[in-house]
Amino acid sequence: MTSNEYAVEMRGIVKVYPDGVVALKGVDFLVKRGEIHGLLGENGAGKTTLMRILYGEIKPTRGEIRVFGKKVSFRGPWDAIREGIGMVYQHFTLVPAFTVKENLYLSLLSVNPKARLSDAISKADKIAEETGLRIPYDEIVEELPIGVQQRVEIIKALLRDARILILDEPTSVLTPIEVRDLFKALRKLRDMGITIIFITHKLKEVKEITDRVTVLRKGKLVGTVETSKVDVKTLARMMVQREVVFKIEKKPAKPGEVVLEARDIHVIDEEGVERVKGISFQLRKGEILGVAGVQGNGQRELAEALAGIRRVSKGRIILRGKDVTGYNAYQRYMKGLAYVPDSRGTGLIPDMNLVENTALTNLYRILGWARRIKWDRAVEITSRVIRELEVVAPSLYAPIKHLSGGNQQKVMVGREIVREPDVFIVAEPTQGLDVAATEFIRKTLLRLRDNGKAILLISTDLDEVLQLSDRLAVIYEGRFLAMGRPEEFTIEKLGLIMGGIRE
Amino acid sequence: MSEALESWFKGFLEQVRIRKRQYLLGALEIVLSALTGFLVAALILYFIGYDPWYIFEIMLTYGFSDLGYLGTRAAPLIMTGLAFSIPLLAGVFNIGGESQLYMGALLGLYVAYVTHNVWLGLIAGFIAGALWGGLIAALRVYRGINEVITAIMLNWTAYYTIIYIILVYLPNPKQSHLSIQLPVSEMISYGETFTLAVVGALIAYFILYYTDIGYKIRVSGANPRSAVYAGFNPKTAIMASMLLGGGLAGYGGTLIIAGVTGSIDTTMSTLFGLGFTGIGVGLLGRNHPIGIIFSGLFFAGLIIGGQWVELLTGAPPYVTDTITGIIVIALSMPYAYRLLMNYVGRLGKK
Repeated sequence: MTSNEYAVEMRGIVKVYPDGVVALKGVDFLVKRGEIHGLLGENGAGKTTLMRILYGEIKPTRGEIRVFGKKVSFRGPWDAIREGIGMVYQHFTLVPAFTVKENLYLSLLSVNPKARLSDAISKADKIAEETGLRIPYDEIVEELPIGVQQRVEIIKALLRDARILILDEPTSVLTPIEVRDLFKALRKLRDMGITIIFITHKLKEVKEITDRVTVLRKGKLVGTVETSKVDVKTLARMMVQREVVFKIEKKPAKPGEVVLEARDIHVIDEEGVERVKGISFQLRKGEILGVAGVQGNGQRELAEALAGIRRVSKGRIILRGKDVTGYNAYQRYMKGLAYVPDSRGTGLIPDMNLVENTALTNLYRILGWARRIKWDRAVEITSRVIRELEVVAPSLYAPIKHLSGGNQQKVMVGREIVREPDVFIVAEPTQGLDVAATEFIRKTLLRLRDNGKAILLISTDLDEVLQLSDRLAVIYEGRFLAMGRPEEFTIEKLGLIMGGIRE
Repeated sequence: MSEALESWFKGFLEQVRIRKRQYLLGALEIVLSALTGFLVAALILYFIGYDPWYIFEIMLTYGFSDLGYLGTRAAPLIMTGLAFSIPLLAGVFNIGGESQLYMGALLGLYVAYVTHNVWLGLIAGFIAGALWGGLIAALRVYRGINEVITAIMLNWTAYYTIIYIILVYLPNPKQSHLSIQLPVSEMISYGETFTLAVVGALIAYFILYYTDIGYKIRVSGANPRSAVYAGFNPKTAIMASMLLGGGLAGYGGTLIIAGVTGSIDTTMSTLFGLGFTGIGVGLLGRNHPIGIIFSGLFFAGLIIGGQWVELLTGAPPYVTDTITGIIVIALSMPYAYRLLMNYVGRLGKK
């Protein structure tokens, strides 16, 4: 059964995480020698898990892996590196304060402790020659543009004689010109006989660069196809196709006045990359505006800019008729805005108790004379959160980390609801929750809408945005590529737009 | 008021009930740490030729016998303990308590001497310490300079500057190794010194746990991302914690002048090391103002006991310092380790 045709053979891979989440449900993944193989799927499809298994970072629960025909069982990435596998992460693993050559030397040392600095340079020179990936040796890494850092990262992997190169969403941080250069280099690498696995959710890139593509959906293999034989529509359908979504009872929306308005906002992140590139929308009372899209397309930056946590580099934000662009988060919360962040690690302080955690965004409501905190008032508010959202907790004074994820999420949502703001920005409200908790949170959001609240729902869960939204926007690379009523989008169309293709 | 007190007490009982396991484990940890510390210290004493039992007996009986003296010695330690712990709650490492105490002692002495009013001196001491601590915070917040480095340099800057000032501008005409001297009639008693320290710790407790800014300080330290999410300015938390911590150290410096020495000597022997010992006091007190009162007393007892050991057995100061050090390290280690892991874990997540 083993043939030399394949560089990677992964068969029947199952991965169950310790918390019981099944990330992969028996996936076969076969990559031919010397091809560029795309790995396509939505968030949570299992792309990254599969690649982390191949790179030896995590162990599969079941399944067999062969690399160049040889059966392997990696104890860690060092084993994978020895078998000729290299990985380029989305977030680079270079030492920022070191120069390029020091970084290269460091990586060579890990496979050859006797290597000298000159070995690293001469080898890198040769690779640069063959691939056209030019890098400066004496520059400090953190001072280099992201595209150049990525080149260093690729050369670093090749320096360790990688014959299989895994690239995790490599284009997400690059400018169009850098993408073109990267693709040119990848083709050269392929011609040199190096096998490349290209993780992405961008359909156009799949068409452009890959020879074959494997599509995953919710931990299952949808199929592996030759790229030239399918069109993007088919790929989109493969990526997002799903059973008819389970419907939630929903009254027709009665949108009222505009309470939140974004006018051409732009956001630049800490690394200097523009993450939001001109988004405008109006949000009305009594409606849910859903924002769908694959993770990392500027959703977090958009939400944080609206909440006042991040500065906008351009554009204006109008809250209830007032320009709040210059306000910080605390001031916007007082003006009737609520934000439920996409991660409990941001929204909650694990070691503090329920009352102290509830106080976080309710602080302005519990201050007394001389900015003294009235804890009895905080206790009242917390009791209300617990009552209204049916939070299960041993005590008001239990550290929040002792609660289950669902109950933590309820506290995070509930402490905003009891403030009775007009505008909710809610990001990934049901991430990691069980079915019951998910239902509860979704129904709560609908109830808020029916009570005349305006909700901006940002979620990578397509079912969720399709079920709840009255209007739907699709975000891709920091822009709304489409906006309309959810019924106007077919699953296929959604898939295409999320993959960056607008008809 | 009584109603508020009642609700506070109810909350406290609830807290105890829910964290019973945690508190028990904490108590067990302290007992085990203390045993380990004493055991290691005993072994060392035994091998260098001392009778561990005899030494410990002196330390513990003499160290904790004169309560008035104990409280007075504890007072500055409580303050420098707070100077370390309050910034740490905000996520800042203040090892500048040493020089914040010096500055408070100097300005407190000068103001009390000139105005003949100890209370004004205490206020001046607080302000001096706060400004000196605030300088470290300002450099960190507005210039991104690591607070540990600044603090180390400022400690020595303050040390030599103060010696210079005493020698040149505030010398004592009668005793050449001392500064100007507060008249004994204007000084405060041992009991008052300790009481003022406890009052300082209680105010710190109130600020940290019952005010807006205290809450912001604690959130900023416990989860910086949450603080940003809530719209708290991280700069404010750092500045406030360093102003308060530095101020308390300065206040502690004035307490020594006002309650014990009445002057500063030209080798700074009565002040030197109190700030550094405060790090141990803070850690042993688990960064809690009330805990710090007790750990300050415990530390003071060990120090006094150590001096009696020197006196009665003729052991060199290194021996008692070593013993005190080992016990302190053993007692602070589990907590310090957790703090460090927390800090390192956070670095990894960035």
